[in-house]
Order: sequence, then C-alpha cells, then structure tokens
Amino acid sequence: MLRLLPNSRILSKAIPPVNISYKARECASKAAETVEVFVDDKPVQVQPGSTVLQACAQAGVEIPRFCYHERLSIAGNCRMCLVEVERSPKPVASCAMPVMKGMKIKTDSPITKKAREGVMEFLLVNHPLDCPICDQGGECDLQDQSMNFGSDKSRFTDNQFLGKRAVEDKDIGPLVKTIMTRCIQCTRCVRFANEIAGVSDLGTTGRGNDLQIGTYVEKMFKSELSGNVIDICPVGALTSKPYAFVARPWELRRVDSIDTMDAVGSNIVVCTRGGDIMRILPRIHEGINEEWLADKSRFSYDGLKRQRLTSPMIKDESGNLISVDWETALLRVCDAITSVKGAEIAAIAGGQVDAEALIAMKDLLNKLGSESLNTEEIFPMDGSGTDLRSNYLLNSSIEGIEESDAILLIGCNPRYEAPLLNARIRKAFIHNEIEVGYLGPKIDLSYNYQHLGDTTTSLENIKSSQFYKEHLSKAKKPMIILGSSALQRADGTAVFAKTQQISNELKEAGSSWRVLNVLQRVASQVAALDIGYRPGVENVRNNKPKVLFLLHADNETVRREDLGKDCVVIYQGSHGDQGALMADIVLPGAAYTEKEGTYVNTEGRAQRTLVAVNPPGLARNDWRITRALSEMIGQPLSYDNTNEIRDRLAEMSPNLVKFDTVEEANYFKQSEELFKDIKEKIKQDSFSLPMIQLKDYFMTDPITRASPTMAQCVKANNKEA
Amino acid sequence: MSKYLEKLRNCRLAIKQNGGIIGAYLQLFRTDELKYGNHIGTDKYGNKYYENKSYFVARSRWIDYAPKYGYDFDGSQVPADWHRWLHYMTDDPPTKVKPCPDREWMTDHEENLSGTTGQYVPYSTVTPKIHSWNPPKNN
Amino acid sequence: MLRKFWSGTLKNLISSKSFHTSGSASAGHLFTHRDTPENNDATPFEFTAENVKRAKDIVSRYPVGHEAGACIPVLDLAQRQNDNWLPISAMNYVAEFLNMPKMRVYEVATFYTMFNRNPVGKYHVQLCTCTPCLLGGTGSDVILEAIEKNLGIKPGETSTDKLFTLSEVECLGACVNAPMMQINDDYYEDLTPETTEKILEACKRGERIEPGPQAVDRFSCEPAGGLTSLSSKPTGPGFGCRPDL
Repeated sequence: MLRLLPNSRILSKAIPPVNISYKARECASKAAETVEVFVDDKPVQVQPGSTVLQACAQAGVEIPRFCYHERLSIAGNCRMCLVEVERSPKPVASCAMPVMKGMKIKTDSPITKKAREGVMEFLLVNHPLDCPICDQGGECDLQDQSMNFGSDKSRFTDNQFLGKRAVEDKDIGPLVKTIMTRCIQCTRCVRFANEIAGVSDLGTTGRGNDLQIGTYVEKMFKSELSGNVIDICPVGALTSKPYAFVARPWELRRVDSIDTMDAVGSNIVVCTRGGDIMRILPRIHEGINEEWLADKSRFSYDGLKRQRLTSPMIKDESGNLISVDWETALLRVCDAITSVKGAEIAAIAGGQVDAEALIAMKDLLNKLGSESLNTEEIFPMDGSGTDLRSNYLLNSSIEGIEESDAILLIGCNPRYEAPLLNARIRKAFIHNEIEVGYLGPKIDLSYNYQHLGDTTTSLENIKSSQFYKEHLSKAKKPMIILGSSALQRADGTAVFAKTQQISNELKEAGSSWRVLNVLQRVASQVAALDIGYRPGVENVRNNKPKVLFLLHADNETVRREDLGKDCVVIYQGSHGDQGALMADIVLPGAAYTEKEGTYVNTEGRAQRTLVAVNPPGLARNDWRITRALSEMIGQPLSYDNTNEIRDRLAEMSPNLVKFDTVEEANYFKQSEELFKDIKEKIKQDSFSLPMIQLKDYFMTDPITRASPTMAQCVKANNKEA
Repeated sequence: MSKYLEKLRNCRLAIKQNGGIIGAYLQLFRTDELKYGNHIGTDKYGNKYYENKSYFVARSRWIDYAPKYGYDFDGSQVPADWHRWLHYMTDDPPTKVKPCPDREWMTDHEENLSGTTGQYVPYSTVTPKIHSWNPPKNN
Repeated sequence: MLRKFWSGTLKNLISSKSFHTSGSASAGHLFTHRDTPENNDATPFEFTAENVKRAKDIVSRYPVGHEAGACIPVLDLAQRQNDNWLPISAMNYVAEFLNMPKMRVYEVATFYTMFNRNPVGKYHVQLCTCTPCLLGGTGSDVILEAIEKNLGIKPGETSTDKLFTLSEVECLGACVNAPMMQINDDYYEDLTPETTEKILEACKRGERIEPGPQAVDRFSCEPAGGLTSLSSKPTGPGFGCRPDL
C-alpha cells in the first residue's frame, strides 16, 4: 500500500520512483545496457529496472491488470497481472516484479491462465452483477477482462444467503458519483489523489474484507482534477454524476477537439449522441495534458446547452431585445457601420474566440479603415510588447517542466489558471526533486514551495533571496513562469521588464534552454496576439468608438458607461451573458464544440477543434457571420471556406496552421534591449490573484457561468468551507 | 325497352330532386353521385339524410352534407346518432326513435381535426436540448 | 424434513445479517466516521504537557522527514490519554502533530483493531475466542458465558455504568495459557468461570488482581501438569567429557 506523502520529500528520495514518465526513465538508464528476457520464448531487450509487465508490453503481449497504471505508483494489490516465470515457485505479480537477465516469462501457460481465472473469480465473488444498470458498462475493465481472462463458471454459491459484500456509498461532491459496492480496491483513485492531484482526501479504511475506499469523514474530494478518478477507475465504482444514466459508450459519436477553458489547450474527445453533447473525455497528448483533464473542461459541457443565443436579436423601440432573422440583424449592423467613419469602429475579442473568427474580424475592420482590435486580456505593449512572440509564450513548453530543475512562479496560481500545467509541476516536484519558488499571495499549490513574498518588492529583491542564490542561479534549466494575472496590473510593463531581466541573467550562454515563460489564462490570447490584436481595452475606453463589436467578450472589461451614448454595441457570441446584456444587436455565434476552429495554447501550439454538434438554432460559425457581413457592406472578404481562411491565417502567421507543433521563439536578448528604455517603475504593491480557492475556479467564462454543474460545484465548495 | 325507360325516369327524378340541371351538375361535381330518395331528416348541423330502398343495401342511405362544409366534407361530420342509422345499425332514424335521452354532460359533436391546424398535439415531456437565452425585458 | 428445512434455509433467512456481511469479524465496527455528540471534530483533545514531551521524544526516534513513522506510537499515546479511545479530533490532532495528511492517520487508526474509535468502558475486556482458547482449559465459550452473565452485556457492548466493554478478539498470543482475556493492558490467563468472576468483581471494586495465570500451580507458561523434561538438576561443566580434559 502506498503511503507517499505530499510533504515528505525524503521518502520519495529514499524509494526510487519506479514509474516516472518513460522519458525520465530513459534519461536515467541511457548509459546502462539492456537486459534480454524471453516473453513466451520470444527474446526482448528491455531496460534494466523495468517490470515484467513492461517487458511483456514491449513484446506485444498485454497483461491484464486493474491496479497498475502507467502514471501512478505501483501497488501490486489486485493480482490480476500474475504470470508464470520459469524457476519461480509461484506465479509473480508482473506489475511489481523487476526483470532479471534471462527471465523466461510465460504469459499463456496453464498456470498463468489458472491464476488469472482464480483472481477473477475472487474479484467477482464480491462484485455486484449490476452491469445492466452500471454506467461503466461497455467500457469496464472488469467486464472486458472477465470475458477475456475469466473462467466460464464460478464456484460462488451463496449458501448462507448472506449476500455479497455491501459497502456504503460516499458523497464526495457533485462531480463524482460513488457506488462503493462495485469497488475492487485497486486503490488507483487513492494513488491518483495522493500523487497527481496532491489532495490526500481519499484513502483506504478498515482491513481485510472490510477494506473500503473513502474519505472516512464526510467531506468532498476537493480537487480541480477530481474527474480523472472516473477515468482511472477500472470498474463502475466511481462514475460521473452529471453523466449518470445518460448514455452508453457504444451509442456515442466521438469527435476529437480542443478544450478552451484555459490556455493549456488540453486535447479532448467530445462524445455526442443525436446532436447532443453527452460528455467530454480527455485525449492523450504527452506534451500537454498527458491523459488527464481538469474538472472545468470535463464537466462544463452542460453550459453549452443553456443560455444559448439561438437567433439574432435587435433592440426594438422600447429597448428590448427581440428575435429577428439574419437579414434584418445584418442590415441593422450594416446601417450602423456605414453611417460612421471607419476609424470609429472597434472590436474586443474575448477569451474563447478561434483564430478564424479573429482574423475575419480583423480583416473586415481593416478594410473599413479601423485598427482598433483589442483583446480583453492585458499585456504590456511598451518595449517590444507583443512584437516578439517569445514575450508572450510559455517558451520552455509544458513538457519542458519535467526537464527543469528549479521553477519560479510569479504572480500566478497555476493550480486554477492551468490545472494540468500545475499537475506537471507537481510531477516534476515529486519525481525530479525540483525546487519551486513562488511570488504572490499564499495559496495551496498541492506541492511545497518556497514563499518569497507577495509584494512587488520581493520581485525587485529576488536576487538577495535564498531561493535565488541556492537554487535558481545554480539550476541548469531554470524556469520562470510569469502569470498573465500579474501583467493585468497598471505597472505590468515594469513587472514584465524586471522578470525578463532576471530570466536573461539566468540564461546560460549558448544554451538553447529558454527561461522566461508567460502563462496565459485564456484560450484565444496567443492566437489574438499572433494575428495582431492589441491587448487591453484602454484604446476603446479612450477613443469612444461609435460601433463596437464584442466578439465573445463577456468579462465586462468595457461597460456601457465607458462608451458614448450613441455607440452601437454588437455582440457576437454563443451565450447570453454580460456581453449580450449590453448589446444593441446580438449575432449568435458558435461555441468551441460547434465549429472548426484553431486555438493556440500558451506554448504557442496551434490545435484545431472539429464540429461535434451543429450550432443551435440560427447560430452560425463566427467567421462566416463576419464574412456574410462583409458581403452586405460591400467589402467582401477574400475567403469562402475553411481551407481558404486557413490559407489566410498562414499568410498572417504560418505557425497558426502548423498544427500541434511548437515553433521556437527566441528573441530574448533583443527584447530585453527594447525594454531597457522603459522608465516605468514597479509600484510597491502586493500581487493579487483572481482565483485563490477552489470555489473561485469553477465559473470564469460564459460557458461555465451557464453550467448548472459548475454552479453546483461552487455551492458544494461554499458549503464545505 | 321498359328497362331504359326506368333509367330515364330515375334520371329525371334525381335531377329534379337535386335542383334542376345546374343543381344536379353541381351535386355531381361535389359528390360524384346523383341519387334521389326520401328525405328522412336533417341534423342540427344542416346535413340531410336520404333513403331509397331501390338501391342496394349500403348504397340505399346517404348523406347530403350541409352547404357550409363546401367541398371539405368528411365522414366524421356525421353525428353519432345519425351515424348508427347511416351504417344500418338500426332502421329507426333518430328523428323517429332517439337512441338515448339527452344528458347534461353530452358534448356537441365535433369532427375529426387530424391533419388540420386544429388537431390535438400532446405537450412534450422531453426537456429541450438547448435552452435559449431570454433577454431581460425593460419595464 | 420440515425441521431440516427450518434449521437450514429458513433460519438463515431470518437471522441473516442485513447489511455488512462480515459483521462478525469486524464486530460491528464501521469504517466510516459518523459524528456523534461525544465524537466529532469539536471534541476537545490536546496532549498534556507531559504527553507532548513524550510524543516529541517518540518522534525524535525517527529520521527527519519520516515523522509519519511515529504515527502508531503517538496514536497509542493519544488513546491512553483519552480514556482508551480515539475521537476523530484526536486523530486530526495527531495528523497535525506529525505533519501528515489526516486521511493517512485515519487509515492507520482504522487498520488496527487496538485503536478504539468509539468510547469504551473503563475496563476493556478483550476475550480471546480463537481456536486454542476455545479448546484449551475450560474453553472460551464458557468464559464468555460467565462474563456475559456477570456484566450483563454482549460482545461489542458497553455496560450502562460505562465500566466495562466486552470484545471478542482474535489470538493474543497466549495460547499456552488458554483460555485468556485481556483487561486493558493486563493478561489474565488460565481462566475458569470462577476466576473470571473474581477478576471482574475486583475490577468493579476498583481493585486489581495480579495479572498472569490464574491457576494456582502455574507461574507462567510452563506445562500445566509440571515439567515433563529438564526436570533433573542441570549438569555442570565437563559433563560427558573425558576426565583428562
């Protein structure tokens, strides 16, 4: 049984981590020679120290397992992976057995088969036969493996009429449903909570036949990654509460897509049935989300079905928004645009806009003679500003965190701003013994860090801190992650300049390692900056445009009071939220699951979503709305289909169509030179974060604000606190 | 010979009963049939019921729908009490023998509205897949 | 035939346990916490100054970073301080004291049956009913009957005066002196119904009977019927050697 404690670093030092990522293991054993073992008489060369199960996998033989999981530590308690090894008196648990030279493993022998059948029989003795009403049915490891490896009959007879073991269900929050009678005690969830999520809320209580998984006391499983225990549970003990009794896996149509709830760009699979999103699952991408997914990304899909804009709207005489057809609405927009000068038109893009919509809007406004294209999120524009890509990207990449040996976090809360990035830092913290320094208000990051203060003064005096002297300056591959939250400040430029200066000092000459990283918070920001949007809405506030486009902009960065009385506000987006409330004309756009869109994550990695369901009602793909509008105004844009607009994107910035590649951005020196002219001083102030606690995490954008599940999460968290 | 004379007589009677040449032509146009017979009664909706036993059974009783229906006449416009006479369930028309006494709770006869805008549509018990946003109204 | 049916199927049907199938083994212990008036988060618990010293001493025996290793002894200390049982607040206190997640402490406390997670009487009578005790001497079923009669409680229950709790336990490692029972830390061995009663009566009066074998002719775990070997005087050095050596 695993007892890895989040704060006992030495423990993890004492026990060499066996299942760190393949990459790390490869690094460790590159010099060592391989060992030859025989799997079913087939010779295989494997790394010494790898397990029998891995050797079998290398030989192409899949060993059945329940408790073993590549990304978790080895428990070895389910016994399903028993195999016969020659000259071993008993079958061995292959997941925990290291290979030895010349080992002869028999995965198909009668002993192995008998062992598997025996284990399966025991597991099924206390497993209820409720597959027909179990949500895991059809994707259940126990179901599959009992078909493949189990016996055709059972000796279990309930002579005494005592019934099977029954365990009380636990209430661990509004996301994860527990049916504990189905639990086979593989402890995957416990290990996930301890190791990956860093929330030691789950554990095993009792012993022997009475062993049960739970929280012992009544409490929520308070983690932003809690949904992942549903995926790793091999049986139906932990299932999704919002998805309970909703659909069967074989009815679902799966569409690969990208998540837009944060700037990490997690790969997802959108499962739909009959044009209705049923659930969202993670898709494996080693560079970004491994196989995990944050709760907001996984469970906020019901927000895509509520508060939707399903038809264009215009304001009538009494000031009420009324539904109209597209022609009327677009004509009204046309009138508004043609009655003003080009320079009096402006646009603000929100956090979840795809690159296609961004470029269509930009091209249209440029044609009309306006340069006022802004994003809600602020980024300093002085110095080299957004001209150099390296200024606003997470340059050393998410995977690079595992290579890094010291990380300094400035003014961000990665745990809630980018949960999967935080999971990477935690992984590096546990397996690679890295040191993490943190500047900002004291928060729980799920790993230990050295708190270097929460004020800007601490940033200025960073070099005198112990962390800088002992760890950061000595590190071979240091990383500084500057949160976008810190750049929202009035003195953002100075904070950025200072961070850049520190990073460049840490950079070793000749090394290609990039120290400076900016952690963006919203999915569209990098694409918007790549296309040439101006970060921040200062421009709009000062110039008071006559026509303002709000492109999925719902964060109230500009209010009605900030605009002139005669300003026509056109909201184009998917949800009736803050933006639609202040709009004169509403154009219904599509959400990220309803269009083929390009999103660039904080690393600068372009990825695209596919159409999982059609936009509801009269809603249309965003760039097509802009295209239709351009036609009506008489300034038609030069692209008619997705391929053509992607060509236009490539023209603007080639990286936007090089899907799933991270382009290097490496102009730190030049950038620093440009920033040297900045005279602005850092204000003496403390860093503030929008998301401090878990309850702040759930509702941050129009989709999550419309989601009943997210509302329940907030409610449950408030109750718990 | 007399067979043909008989036919001519019937033809004459039918034309006479249906209102002369023009009336007979319109009746023929409306119902594709021209018959003559005894007027047995008229229901409260204006439908007239006829009988001529010289026709075969099943053709010997018929209805002349009220003019208000125009060409939109339909079998379901026959009220229940006349329906039983028309379909030979009884030989006594309701004008002679009332099938049942009038009750307070008896509703007026209504024709079948299926396929028209007046048809019955059960309300949906399924929640909509998409909930649209309802913009708030100014007072 | 009918009687056979009654004794087999029907009896089992009627007397079948309703929920937890291994109830007999776990003696009705629940492995989840339920707040009760005497056992909840707010139940006051804190080490006395003396116990803080002792606990720190225990922790100091473990290497730095392995404070969690002291979990069992510190929990035991907490249990001894708190009338032989561990409220949830004590577990939380220990978790904080050892700087480990609360759940890890709950896991330890629920794993070991020696940790009582519910209040017990002043005297915790633990009767061994394992096979050797069931067979040895008078047999533990007789002793159990005697205790039940004397205290008026069944296994798993606490007497109304909160003086006694009776538990059936598995082997306590004194099989030679079967049957035996443990009252708090004392082993009482070689029991007969009479001696059992005597011990319990003494407890009721607040006295303490010398622990160990209650049979008169035994000091410890030597054979009951006197020595069967090594009965002669031990031979001195040079026994069996040639005289010239």
